[in-house]
Amino acid sequence: MNTNQVDLTNCDKEPIHIPGRIQSHGFLIAIDIDTLLIKYVSLNTFKFIEVEAADLLDKSILFLEEQMIFKDDKVQLKSLLILGSQKDSYEGINPYYLNIKGQPFYLIISKSGAYHVLEFEPAILDFDIQGTVGRSISGILAGRRLISMMENTADEIKKIIGYDRVMVYKFHDDGHGEVIAEAKNEDLEPFYGLHYPASDIPKQARALYLLNYTRIIADVNTNDSAVITTSDNFSALDLTHSVLRAVSPIHIQYLKNMGVDSSFSISLITNGKLWGLIACHNYTPKFIDYKARESTKLIGQILSSALEYRQEEEDDEKVKLLLAHAEELQQSLVADQDFISALTTHRVTIKDVTHSTGVVICFEGRLYTLGQVPAEEEIKMLVAWLTTTMEDSVYHTSQLPEVFSPAKNFKSTASGILAAMLSKDLGEFVIWFKPEQITTVHWAGNPEKPMTETPDGHMDLSPRNSFESWAQIVENTSASWTREEIASVIKIRHKLLDVINKKANEIRALNERLKLAYEELDTFSYTISHDLRTPLTSIKSYTELVLATNKSLDEQGKMLLNRVLAGANKMAFLINEILKLARVGRSDLKAEQLDMGSILEEIKTDALNVDGARHVTVKIGATPSILGDPTLITQIFANLIGNAVKYSVSAIDPMVVVSGEDGGDEVIYTIKDNGIGIDLNYHDKVFELFKRMDNAKGYQGTGVGLAIVKRIVEKHNARIWFESELKVGTVFYVAFRK
Amino acid sequence: MISPDIFYVEDDQDFAFIMQYAVKEVKDDLVVRIVEDGTEAMRMLDSYVETQQKPKLILLDLNLPGLSGIDLLKKIKEIPYFKYVPVILFSTSDDPIDVKRSLEFGANAYLTKPDGYTNLITCIQSLYDFWFNQNRSIN
Repeated sequence: MNTNQVDLTNCDKEPIHIPGRIQSHGFLIAIDIDTLLIKYVSLNTFKFIEVEAADLLDKSILFLEEQMIFKDDKVQLKSLLILGSQKDSYEGINPYYLNIKGQPFYLIISKSGAYHVLEFEPAILDFDIQGTVGRSISGILAGRRLISMMENTADEIKKIIGYDRVMVYKFHDDGHGEVIAEAKNEDLEPFYGLHYPASDIPKQARALYLLNYTRIIADVNTNDSAVITTSDNFSALDLTHSVLRAVSPIHIQYLKNMGVDSSFSISLITNGKLWGLIACHNYTPKFIDYKARESTKLIGQILSSALEYRQEEEDDEKVKLLLAHAEELQQSLVADQDFISALTTHRVTIKDVTHSTGVVICFEGRLYTLGQVPAEEEIKMLVAWLTTTMEDSVYHTSQLPEVFSPAKNFKSTASGILAAMLSKDLGEFVIWFKPEQITTVHWAGNPEKPMTETPDGHMDLSPRNSFESWAQIVENTSASWTREEIASVIKIRHKLLDVINKKANEIRALNERLKLAYEELDTFSYTISHDLRTPLTSIKSYTELVLATNKSLDEQGKMLLNRVLAGANKMAFLINEILKLARVGRSDLKAEQLDMGSILEEIKTDALNVDGARHVTVKIGATPSILGDPTLITQIFANLIGNAVKYSVSAIDPMVVVSGEDGGDEVIYTIKDNGIGIDLNYHDKVFELFKRMDNAKGYQGTGVGLAIVKRIVEKHNARIWFESELKVGTVFYVAFRK
Repeated sequence: MISPDIFYVEDDQDFAFIMQYAVKEVKDDLVVRIVEDGTEAMRMLDSYVETQQKPKLILLDLNLPGLSGIDLLKKIKEIPYFKYVPVILFSTSDDPIDVKRSLEFGANAYLTKPDGYTNLITCIQSLYDFWFNQNRSIN
């Protein structure tokens, strides 16, 4: 494979760790660990040691040592390698200073498979690295906040190694990079704030940045030197750990496009991940030697650990704030019996468990909002959408309009949502909102157009030619939801569910108690009415007995005793009514299909068989059958028709019309009269026990009848309502389920 | 001992008292025998069997301490000697359940106690007319 040609078919798989070439500012020799024979050599050896590469192949290391003896220096290569092998590390050896043809060199040894890789590169030795680095580190760490630490780093690195431009480059979660700090020569255009697409630094390059903390490209315009091997060997040497490793032609082109002649980078690694790079560009060829690189590597490592620590600290502060809010909210939930009030009315509200700008609680069919939220109708649409699509208990997006297009209408308040499901069945959610952030991303070149077409119609992957800032407006997008916000929501959701469940259980228990109390009350009123009857009868009987047998009573005495009798009679009547009501509650419902025609005829006869009611016309229309308890249903109609007749007796042509009608899944009966009517101010009181209307005073009654009707209607799961106008008449409707 | 015309079991002394007045009001020479509870009622009825006295009508209050009206009704119906004596359950309750049970166990009628002296007289008058005059043949 010709490694100079990389196109779309192999771009992602370009084996950049085995380029088969090295940068030509130094030379490379690889020696078999077992035999100590030379197996790989870079072609440029003659330039440095006046021996052709081919002449070195398959020679012993001793041969190499001999060739490298200059003046009185004897290079003990073999003993170095043996020492490295024994320790399984060359760290103590690197860099090994030596003199080749009067020039200072560093030897850097690494291991690659079965070979010692020896790389020789120039040593410069022209500044006091140790002292400078010490001062730099204290300068860098003086920054209190992360961002000032970055800026200090760029400045200090530029001071130490003197590149034209030094940038701190941060990788975002999606892999794209941003220049977050920069130190540069004044005449250069700033790159600060530029974003670079993820493809600019491919995956395999990132893997190498994790292994090699520094990387130098000395001159993009010099030709690489090929690495040759013996004729019987067909595998390429793995140059992963090589300091001279040649650069991918794509990257060379990339740098050339930017006008950069040489570059140097330092990896920034936090928690084992590539956080970013310190990228140094020079617009002329530039080489810094191994010791200088190692010093900057130290700065990189110190910054990395500071990053890790400070980032954690800064994250921590935010987390602590959210945690404190969540904690306070939980206390409100305990202290405030009202769920909604606990979440919305205290110093810390449900909105504060995230960094949102608005929140809505959809609970028990109502919406409660705080802060900036969409309109009610829009929220309802959103809730409907969440109800059908949400599968997990918590959902978040920072691009709602992209997944739910109606949200485009309210993107200004809700481009981002974080939703916590309380009950999917009931459509109960808490939804936090973040507004649209029209962000402008300054790309270094148009990220959408990384490819150019070659004349033969072949798509060639080449870096973008223009590095002008290319601005992209990002719409329909909010600030993203952080891990901490989501964690906080998950936590508070659990708490909310706890409270809701507890409330539900309390209500259930209360309901049970209420039911029991109701039953007890029925039994109680039944018993008490019953027991009251006996003494009442005695009062009445004795009074009558006195009246009947005591001949000495005068008129005054008789009148007084008759008042006693009237009171007793009234009381007996009331007791009877209450008994009827209590009996409704106690009786078991024996539902059957009822012949309403004959029931109503009988009631009609009874209703008209009351003094002064004979002139009332009672018309019975259609009488569809209903399902109900014969005794109880009779009571309903006896009461309603009885009332209708009673309250219309004074009307001109009093008329009561009773008829039933099929209303789909119900049978609806209407009882219409042209009587005195019901004042709608008493609308709610009509069915209450012992409540009688003002205009009913002249009519006999206890105010129990309609209460009984209501009980029976409820017992049948039926519905009752009425329409009325004073002095015009009343229509009662009773709807029975089929 | 004069055989009673009406044998009445009633624990409420007031009602028993009023009843005596009412019966006398209807017909002065009617003999009413009133006992207060089921046990005493049974002892009395046993003695009637022994002495061959047969009341013309038995009235039973429903709610009695100890043996209830219904219990008494069952026992009376098991005694052949009283086979043709009408037994009437007499109670303040107008609960249909009570009415149904009484008739099922062989009561010849179920009467809701009339409230007041006047109504009671009317009631006793009607009972007297029916059971003592019209149906004399069955005794």
